[in-house]
Amino acid sequence: MRNAIATLAMCLLTVPAAAAGRAPIDGGEFTPVLAPGPTTKTLTVHAFELDRRPVTNREYLAFVAASPEWRRGRVAALFADRGYLARWAGPTALGPAALPEQPVTQVSWFAARAYCATQGARLPTWYEWEYAAAADETRRDARQDPAWRERIVKWYAAAASRDLPPVGQTPANIYGVQDLHGLVWEWVDDYAGLMISGDSRTQGDPDKLQFCGAGALSSEIRDDYPVLMRLALLSSLEASFTTNNLGFRCASGGSP
Amino acid sequence: MKMLPRVAALLLALGVGVVANAAAGKARAQAARSTAAPLPEGSLFRLDVRLEPAGGGERQLRSLAGHPTVIAMFYSSCTSVCPMLVLEMQRIESALGSAERDRVQFAMVSLDAERDQATALEAFAAEHHLDRARWLLAHASARDVRTLAAALGVRYRQLPDKSFSHSSVITLLDAEGVARDRTSVPSTDQAEFLQRVRDLLR
Repeated sequence: MRNAIATLAMCLLTVPAAAAGRAPIDGGEFTPVLAPGPTTKTLTVHAFELDRRPVTNREYLAFVAASPEWRRGRVAALFADRGYLARWAGPTALGPAALPEQPVTQVSWFAARAYCATQGARLPTWYEWEYAAAADETRRDARQDPAWRERIVKWYAAAASRDLPPVGQTPANIYGVQDLHGLVWEWVDDYAGLMISGDSRTQGDPDKLQFCGAGALSSEIRDDYPVLMRLALLSSLEASFTTNNLGFRCASGGSP
Repeated sequence: MKMLPRVAALLLALGVGVVANAAAGKARAQAARSTAAPLPEGSLFRLDVRLEPAGGGERQLRSLAGHPTVIAMFYSSCTSVCPMLVLEMQRIESALGSAERDRVQFAMVSLDAERDQATALEAFAAEHHLDRARWLLAHASARDVRTLAAALGVRYRQLPDKSFSHSSVITLLDAEGVARDRTSVPSTDQAEFLQRVRDLLR
């Protein structure tokens, strides 16, 4: 009997995540923090679908089980640095430091992309991610609400001092998407296009290149610290980098 | 890579703990021991990138194996940095002796998957008098462009007017596809880069 209950409990634990899937995100006009161009403030995000939750260790384990070339110890240095899945107990075993329903982290951009490709999907673009992340439970764009901003900043501050919680613990936004804030940083397909100045002539010094992008930030939203932090982090990455708090989710459809 | 400490400091200052264990690309020898693939760990020839050369047909990036390659990403309608990029590559070409030159490949892959089809690239090659025996100008799909740019460390973004903001990086690949040197345009270390090319030809 006790076994049966344990089995049932496990099923109940795994079902919601398995059923999460991808949420449709309506397209629309958007004023992103990162301005599209030197004189352009807004853009149109085309309708797309976005994973309701970040990819979990359990899901990523199924991927490496089917794709041996992405197992830890097999993946080439070109595609992932030495931190790749370092928290896992083994190349195909999660162990106590990587729980099944925690978001997978320590994955490179190349790896995240390969995972999404096996799902018939892709990584979201930055603008798609930012668009979806501007929503709260009831509004498509909650960014101008100081209370909402404060809540998000608190999430980020709290994230520093604890183990990663399982996915799906934060409130679903209006699209039914969770954990865009408050859980992990997430790869986007065009991470290499962020914080670049809109003026090619200033390119050259890689240091200057990435941070003079501040000129490309939309002035109205310059105090959107959570999004600025994401931009700063993403713009510092190389495609093979892995970090403890960097995961991903997949997207499909749309016009990337 | 230089940016990591600064960003880490920024994030810490904001009370966010991010452990970027993304150590720089050293001591990679102990990473995956691949027995199946003969290519070196860091070889770009591990990428699945399909190129469509200006002259027609298609070839894999890894078909560049066998000789060193000086490679850059650009777009043909670019009027600011790109002309300097091709000039810099031509300067390297002409600095080499004729015997050396014949053993080096020069590759330019377009960032502009939408507009830089074969015709546009042909025109660019003609305009700059590029010797087609040595120069490969190629189109690739948007996805492959992103893959190659990531591996070469080229940062780029398309602007609303369809132009690209991009870093201008020239990379030296050895015969096995491993990046041996990198320079940017405008640069101050051309002599060093040229020496690296010569070293690979020894």
